[in-house]
Amino acid sequence: MRRGSVLQLLGIAVLAAAIASLFAIFIGWLPDPASEEAKRIHFVYWFTTVICIAVFSVVAAVLAYSVVKFRAGPDDDSDGPPIHGHTKLEIVWTAIPAVLVTAISIVSAIVLAQNGKAGANPLVVKVTAVQFAWRFTYPNGKSFGVLTLPKGRHVKLDITSNDVIHSFWSPELSQKQDAVPGQHNMLVVTPSRTGTFPVICTELCGLGHALMRSHVTVMTAGGFDTWLKSGGRAGGGAPGLAVFQQNGCGGCHTFKPANATGKVGPDLDNLKEEAAKANRGPLDKFVEESIVKPEAYIAPGYTDAMPHIFGSQIPPDKLKQLVQYLSRGAK
Amino acid sequence: MSTAAEAHEHGPFEHHGPPPIHYSSRVSPSVLGMFLFIASEIMLFGSFFTVYFFDRVVNHGVGGQWPPDGFHRPVFVAGINTLILVTSSGTMHWADTSIKRGNRAGMQAGLVLTLCLGLTFLLTQVIEYHRIGFNTSNSSFAATFFGLTGLHGAHVFVGLTILLAMTIRAFRGHFSPEHHHGVEIGGIYWHFVDVMWIVVYVTVYII
Amino acid sequence: MTVHEVQHEHAPAPRATGLRRLLVPGWLRIFWVTPLFFGLGLGLPVLIRWLAHWDPVWKGSVLVSVELVTTPLGFLVGLGGFDYWVRYASGRPTLPEDHSGHGAHSWRDYFRINTDHKVIGIQYVVTTIFFFCVGGLLAMLFRAELAQPGDQFFNPQTFNVLVSNHAALMIFLFIIPAFAGLGNYVIPLMLGAADMAFPRLNALSFWLLPIAGLMLIVGMVTPGGGPSAGWTCYAPLCSHQPLGQVFFNMGVQWAGASSIMTALNFLVTIITMRAPGMTFWRMPLLVWANFTTSLLVVIATPFIAGSQFFVMLDRVLHTNFFEAGGGGYVLGYQHIFWFYSHPAVYIMMLPGFGIISEVISVMSRKPIFGYRLMALSLMAILVLGFSVWAHHMFVAGMAGWLRVPMMVTSMVIAVPTGIKIFSWLATMWEGRIHFTTPMLFALGFLSMFVIGGLSGIYLASVPIDIHASDTYFIVAHIHYVLFGGSVFTIFAGIYYWFPKMTGRMYDERLGKLHFWLTFIGFNLTFFPMHFIGLQGMPRRVADYADRFADVNLFISIASFGLGASTLVFLFNMVRSWAHGAPAPGNPWRALTLEWQVSSPPPVFNFDEIPQVVGNPYEYGVPGAKHAIFGAPTPAPVPAD
Ligand code: HEA
Ligand code: HEA
Ligand code: CUA
Ligand SMILES: [Cu+2]
Repeated sequence: MRRGSVLQLLGIAVLAAAIASLFAIFIGWLPDPASEEAKRIHFVYWFTTVICIAVFSVVAAVLAYSVVKFRAGPDDDSDGPPIHGHTKLEIVWTAIPAVLVTAISIVSAIVLAQNGKAGANPLVVKVTAVQFAWRFTYPNGKSFGVLTLPKGRHVKLDITSNDVIHSFWSPELSQKQDAVPGQHNMLVVTPSRTGTFPVICTELCGLGHALMRSHVTVMTAGGFDTWLKSGGRAGGGAPGLAVFQQNGCGGCHTFKPANATGKVGPDLDNLKEEAAKANRGPLDKFVEESIVKPEAYIAPGYTDAMPHIFGSQIPPDKLKQLVQYLSRGAK
Repeated sequence: MSTAAEAHEHGPFEHHGPPPIHYSSRVSPSVLGMFLFIASEIMLFGSFFTVYFFDRVVNHGVGGQWPPDGFHRPVFVAGINTLILVTSSGTMHWADTSIKRGNRAGMQAGLVLTLCLGLTFLLTQVIEYHRIGFNTSNSSFAATFFGLTGLHGAHVFVGLTILLAMTIRAFRGHFSPEHHHGVEIGGIYWHFVDVMWIVVYVTVYII
Repeated sequence: MTVHEVQHEHAPAPRATGLRRLLVPGWLRIFWVTPLFFGLGLGLPVLIRWLAHWDPVWKGSVLVSVELVTTPLGFLVGLGGFDYWVRYASGRPTLPEDHSGHGAHSWRDYFRINTDHKVIGIQYVVTTIFFFCVGGLLAMLFRAELAQPGDQFFNPQTFNVLVSNHAALMIFLFIIPAFAGLGNYVIPLMLGAADMAFPRLNALSFWLLPIAGLMLIVGMVTPGGGPSAGWTCYAPLCSHQPLGQVFFNMGVQWAGASSIMTALNFLVTIITMRAPGMTFWRMPLLVWANFTTSLLVVIATPFIAGSQFFVMLDRVLHTNFFEAGGGGYVLGYQHIFWFYSHPAVYIMMLPGFGIISEVISVMSRKPIFGYRLMALSLMAILVLGFSVWAHHMFVAGMAGWLRVPMMVTSMVIAVPTGIKIFSWLATMWEGRIHFTTPMLFALGFLSMFVIGGLSGIYLASVPIDIHASDTYFIVAHIHYVLFGGSVFTIFAGIYYWFPKMTGRMYDERLGKLHFWLTFIGFNLTFFPMHFIGLQGMPRRVADYADRFADVNLFISIASFGLGASTLVFLFNMVRSWAHGAPAPGNPWRALTLEWQVSSPPPVFNFDEIPQVVGNPYEYGVPGAKHAIFGAPTPAPVPAD
């Protein structure tokens, strides 16, 4: 190999790396981190990116150079030089990747260990997934359909599921963990800025999977304490609305008064009509039965997809509020 | 199993037919094929043992006990059954060595005996299922119990089918000291089914 | 259409007439045997349940599961898949081989049990391309749905069915069997053998494929809903899906059985049927690649069979293998599934590596760089491939201590893979590169697979995977390795051996057009998926947040273009097969054995067994020879 071709090769490689780097830097690949864990994950991400750009540039450069330089003419029937191998070269391209992946592994392992540390006094929130809603339970026993967290404190999520596998993820917090029936999985997050971020279910869990979304609101530590003490009611609204939201009904149902737009189950705005069609007693009886015993009547065109757990999960007084809320809001 | 070799029993040097086959290995294709097949069978059993391991060891069974309360494993009957199956391996071996030495009657007797012993085993197993007092839906213990013994039972059934074919051929005058591949290969499979049972028995009934 | 000339030694058995025609193997027999077995599948379970006093006697899920075994068996019996063995088993004299099972005289010969590996190879390739089109059209349907947020054309259930079957068809009925088909055609030729070791088994393993494919497709339209748990079919979701899921479980079993049978056949053929002088270190790398792949198949595939049995039993017999309530370990399913399905991704890649080695060496007119290391790195990937399965479970909540070891082994696979990539580059270096269509696809593969492999490195790093798992980043990775990797190599292989298989040349200009359309469409479709995935778009969703609307619309439009590029390929194949210029025996001036015979090869491949005297890639070495014909053959080693 002549010196000239090495220089040319290097030039192409640098060019390729430059283009790739521009791509990497000027497109906002990752969401703005909102937790300490996310920041560390982003570090590993960029570390790996640098290595991968280097590797890709080398391959691209050799490829491009060969395509341009070693093209056979239309009537060229000759063969190339019979080179069978080159031991030193082969050792080099075995050793360098080995070193590089070892480096990535070490950095990853360190970050993984750090991201699993919950400190001495974490806030423990129980996360229960059901088809197709989230339920977040605080140490004081109160539970909600949306997650609220304090900024700057270690939070340990104790994640489980009541039916099939789901997965808890918030892109800004970066941390992700499957919710597995019969198992309690731990996940540590340490929110680092306030704001409201999406929570999504990332494990296929049935027909409502796409809409199994919720929110996490990160408050200042003081704000969080008052929020928790006040029983977690962020604002006014009908008491039934809170029950509706805490149980994640909006994940599957459309209901205008609650701004819910789920499409898995029947549209609750048409409850009156449905009740008339079902012909199973007065409206509020029908609504209550449909929540407590959803399999008793299944609206035409739907399947028995609604969880059978709400009867035991919602206390009687809350259930009453919910039934009232739904019956009144319905047309 | 059909080999390309058998396709040309009528004389490999005819014109226009395929050229003579060149074998690049000492081991005959059908024996090698059977061994590879058994390798994949072992892996199939492996997947059942894996699920057994997960349900029992990783998940600590039901309430930490194995077998859970109220389940009784018929260790004794299955033990007798084990003896029966081990004996059948002996008779199978007898059939195989007999034909290699040209003893046709010995082979026939060996095969019939093996067949009978295998049938007894399978029948005992079915009766055991019937009397066992729990069914497939009673906890993960029952699942792995029926899973492993059932998978093995299915293999005994396949083995018996092969044995039946061998027996029929033996009585129709096939096989000779020079041509005993059928017996040998069927025999390998039967021994495999046998050894597998010992592993299943120890895992499911004893430990 | 190719018509191999067959000279019959024996007059073929006289044609049956009258009612006897119902007894000869073939479609007539299928039409009465299949319903017979269908009835058997209904009657037997009902009888057994009735005898054992099980309630209810008539149970839908049991009957469906049994039917999905018996009905296809009936079809195979009718087709004649078992005739020889039944005759053998019952001690009757087996019919003397009249070789009428070899070769194809008309298109009808592709629709029967044919024992010629060349016919089977073509059967395989055509069938798998058909399933590629079906799987791709499903992708077009759900891409249309994904063009906008919200529900437009399909409800979420149907959407999940489309995604599950898209992946299942692509993996189990396109990539894996397409490689098996190409291997089937080429391996005996490359080894200098007349056929595979077990020709009848070979025929049977092909015919399991249409059964499996049909089962998946029928599953989609079963009343109650099709299989919708993703191609991974995780328990416990999968055991509680509508009835169509059973079709999926069984379809996978049939495809798996076919795959194991072919692998056994490859292994035995490669070990016992090599021409004299063809040592392991003289085998073309394609043969090496299929050798390692077959080992993977034989060892790993039983695990997916097991996993599908368990979820079926959980559904049908209410066992508790993976039901937390009954003491089952839910994640056990994933361990067992991935113990197959990770090696499966190498089952879907290693044969492609083999194809690329052939193409790059021939088209660059240079020996493969570092031949032995190339073969050894295949073996290294084989071994390592079994030690990384849990990298699919980093966020599943498995034992924590498994994470780091699995991360390290996953990363280490980059080393042997890198050796292969760099050796191909070195093979091209200073070569005389001919940019034919197969070479273009080989280069497309090289660049795209490196991108896909590098995104695999991101995923192997646990912290990054925690962020990216189950998002569109994974979808991007999947398609860069499976489409940019496997599918590109399949296209390269099809173009490369098209002259050999059909005896005609394909249209080079259409081939190049196909490549460029595919290459551009592919990148436009799948590259943006990295971005939306990292930003927070989960996979397997029919509806998504509004902020991803623009990118998704872009992806959908690009994907239609990518789909349309396949039309160019189909048109080229059909037209060239019918009207292409006749192909010479060795259009690429290659050294491997399949090119030393006519195109298409004679029925028994070689009139005389070649004597292998050197390595298969000695381009540029003066006077070097891979094999000579007409040398006195040594006496055959007796098999028994
Ligand atoms: C052909 C198929 C194929 C191939 C070859 C690969 C190859 C690899 N894959 Fe991929 N993978 C899939 C198909 C494939 N994968 C599929 C289908 C899924 C999704 C399944 C599902 O959930 O539906 C998946 C998912 C998947 C995951 C799980 C993600 C998740 O669900 O959370 C992971 C994690 O580790 C992973 C890693 C890897 C790695 C490390 C490789 C490595 O083998 C790659 C090695 C190659 C290179 C690295 C490039 C070349 C090397 C060099 C140029 C040398 C220098 C390199 C360095 C120094 C880095 N893959
Ligand atoms: C080899 C494997 C393979 C191949 C080739 C493809 C090919 C394609 N795939 Fe697929 N895909 C997978 C394997 C594969 N895929 C897997 C394993 C998954 C994961 C599934 C899961 O989550 O369970 C997946 C998932 C997957 C998703 C994510 C779904 C989700 O998570 O919700 C998407 C989304 O865009 C997608 C798109 C496509 C597209 C557009 C193509 C295109 O390349 C297809 C192009 C081909 C054709 C269109 C057919 C032939 C063309 C014609 C017959 C001409 C006529 C057509 C027109 C004129 C339009 N695939
Ligand atoms: Cu819950 Cu997806
Ligand atoms: Cu993997």
